[in-house]
Amino acid sequence: MIDLTPFLPLIYFGVILLLTWVFSYVASLVIWGLMRRSNPQVTAAAQRLGVVIVWLVGIVFAVQELGVGVDALLLVLALLGVAAIVALRQPLENFGSKYFADLYTPFKIGDTIRVGEQSGKVIEVNAMSTILLSEDDHLIALPNSIFLRESVVNLTPQAWKELIVPITLPGSVDLPSFESEMMKALSHLRLRLDRRYPPVFTLKSRSAQSTDLHLTVMVRRPEDRDPVLAEVNLRLTETMERARGSAVRPMAPGGPAEAHP
Amino acid sequence: MEPLRVCINTQTPLLQFPPSGGQPRPLWTVERDFAKLHAGVDYQFSPGGVTRMIYPLARRLLSEGVWKEVHWVSLNPNAPEAIEMPGITLHNVSIDRDRMGGYGKVKETIWTTVHGLNGPRLSADLFWTEDYGEYTYYNRTTAELIRRLDESFDFDLFYIHDFQQLPIGHMLGTLKPKVFRWHIPFDAARIPEQWRSVFSTYLQAYDVVIVSADRYRTALRQFGHKGRILRLYPFVDPAEYNRPPEEVVAQTVATKRIFPEDVVALVVARMDPAKGQDRVIGALARVAKSFPRLKLVLAGNGSFSSSREGLGLSKSETWRQHLEERARELGVSDRVVLTGHVTQHELDCLYERCAFTILPSTFEGFGLVVVESWLHDRPALVTARAGIAELIEDGENGLLFDPDDPASLVRQMRRVLRSEMTLVPRLVAGGRIAARRCTIDAAARAESRLVGEAVEA
Repeated sequence: MIDLTPFLPLIYFGVILLLTWVFSYVASLVIWGLMRRSNPQVTAAAQRLGVVIVWLVGIVFAVQELGVGVDALLLVLALLGVAAIVALRQPLENFGSKYFADLYTPFKIGDTIRVGEQSGKVIEVNAMSTILLSEDDHLIALPNSIFLRESVVNLTPQAWKELIVPITLPGSVDLPSFESEMMKALSHLRLRLDRRYPPVFTLKSRSAQSTDLHLTVMVRRPEDRDPVLAEVNLRLTETMERARGSAVRPMAPGGPAEAHP
Repeated sequence: MEPLRVCINTQTPLLQFPPSGGQPRPLWTVERDFAKLHAGVDYQFSPGGVTRMIYPLARRLLSEGVWKEVHWVSLNPNAPEAIEMPGITLHNVSIDRDRMGGYGKVKETIWTTVHGLNGPRLSADLFWTEDYGEYTYYNRTTAELIRRLDESFDFDLFYIHDFQQLPIGHMLGTLKPKVFRWHIPFDAARIPEQWRSVFSTYLQAYDVVIVSADRYRTALRQFGHKGRILRLYPFVDPAEYNRPPEEVVAQTVATKRIFPEDVVALVVARMDPAKGQDRVIGALARVAKSFPRLKLVLAGNGSFSSSREGLGLSKSETWRQHLEERARELGVSDRVVLTGHVTQHELDCLYERCAFTILPSTFEGFGLVVVESWLHDRPALVTARAGIAELIEDGENGLLFDPDDPASLVRQMRRVLRSEMTLVPRLVAGGRIAARRCTIDAAARAESRLVGEAVEA
């Protein structure tokens, strides 16, 4: 009979990692289920965050089983985190704001907006700032974080109608079929949408792994924005499920971010 | 400027292939080399503007070194994936029959609405139908093929031809130069309110929009299009038009029930309500007694859309039956000949045999048949609703009429039938001069200039 006692810590280590993998998978599924009506990109980001947190906790527990003191490790990690946040506060704020501004701030390139005392046509949105072209032909760079602090006025006519939904399709999904099915699905929402503006898909970028698109729809009434957005997101998810020929597989723990719309 | 590698996109394919249902397996299913296929057996050129205009233009610009390579993408469900011609590779897009039906309905509705055959209210919700999903599918499938080809060949220019392909420029999502030819009429008043945003979005994706007449350029500007618009007249290659000897003409037309004593009025148009053949039958009935030898010949059948190899829409047969019935009702069925499809040689013979031609369309993008008539030295009676009408000086190089005013066409028919000694020679001479503005020489110069500007811009 082999004495496994010396190997027990290693076995526990392995078991905890295995359990962590299972928990992260379940967490990903749960998050996806809870956020079916949210924007698919936000859902994917939340899944990624959930998976990372589960793995961090799992690794700490697993390392403990090897007899390594984790207090110092946790302290170092925490200090490093605080230092990084303090040192990179402004860029991180702009970077993070860009991400959320992309999804939730109601303007796009080409719109004319006013933020504080600045106004102009949006000609670029990069990771750090948003560039406006003023009426007197000057370039104005606004740090992205400003959009989460200040009120933004979109001066573009009918801008309130417009909903732009970013979509990331995995390379395995057939774009023509997906677009066609979405057009059919959206035709059923026509009572809530402005019929003068049928939905339009715009290709933003393309690679072997994924396709980034924007879907633009125009709501008929201002109060319809949220319900229509939720319905569009739901139909996106359903269409994606059908396009992939099976139920949506949640992102594999630690796996690539391409598994969701 | 360096010679360009160009991608052409048309709905109608340059070549059509016979169905592969029978045995043995057709050669085109296994052979990519065009030189090894046999005309009339393995393939035929599609009738219409694609063969008459785009193909000669591509060949001309290739031979002049303006273009160095052409990849031509079209809808062709009954075709091999690709066919190699000298300098030109044809790529064929295939979609399911079910999807084809939905696509066909949408593009047909756009066509009939733009031509005024549907009221704008009737088709207002077209882009909210499930069929529109299929129209989108076809265009996206085409755009995806073009995108993949672009990855391999790195095109310098995309040349997109006609309204069926309107979304392609937007779908390609490339900053490379894109030229779009809107080949049908454009009248802003006929575009339903619900279509305007889609049309605007898609048109804006192009660097240049080409239209066939000044009136369409004005209408597109009034519609609100802010991009560059050019008017380039459609064109033909005069070298493609033969003038067969009289005895050959007589033999050929005899097979179409046209006899030596007949005075022939010729309408060359596909079988389609927008082509207005019914109006000429009505006019014939009114002049029949005064001109007992007058015979009306309606040459042409369906388009790619109505062919079984194409979209399978049945409108041409329905229209043909309507015309036959109309001729019977008016008591002129013995004076009307419907030839169906004619070969190029037969068409040349019909032009040579006729006394004059009529273009009676209710709305016509341009009207190249008038140019063909001029090339055969035959006077043309031209609807005022055709793009080519802006080249017509009434009584000098053609005779204009309002297709909705029967008396107007009858008056012009009487004029040409009674005035052969004075009017006809003037119309023929004037037509010969006007035709020079619609030849491939003029077009190649204009297109080279345009393409150069688009690429260098």
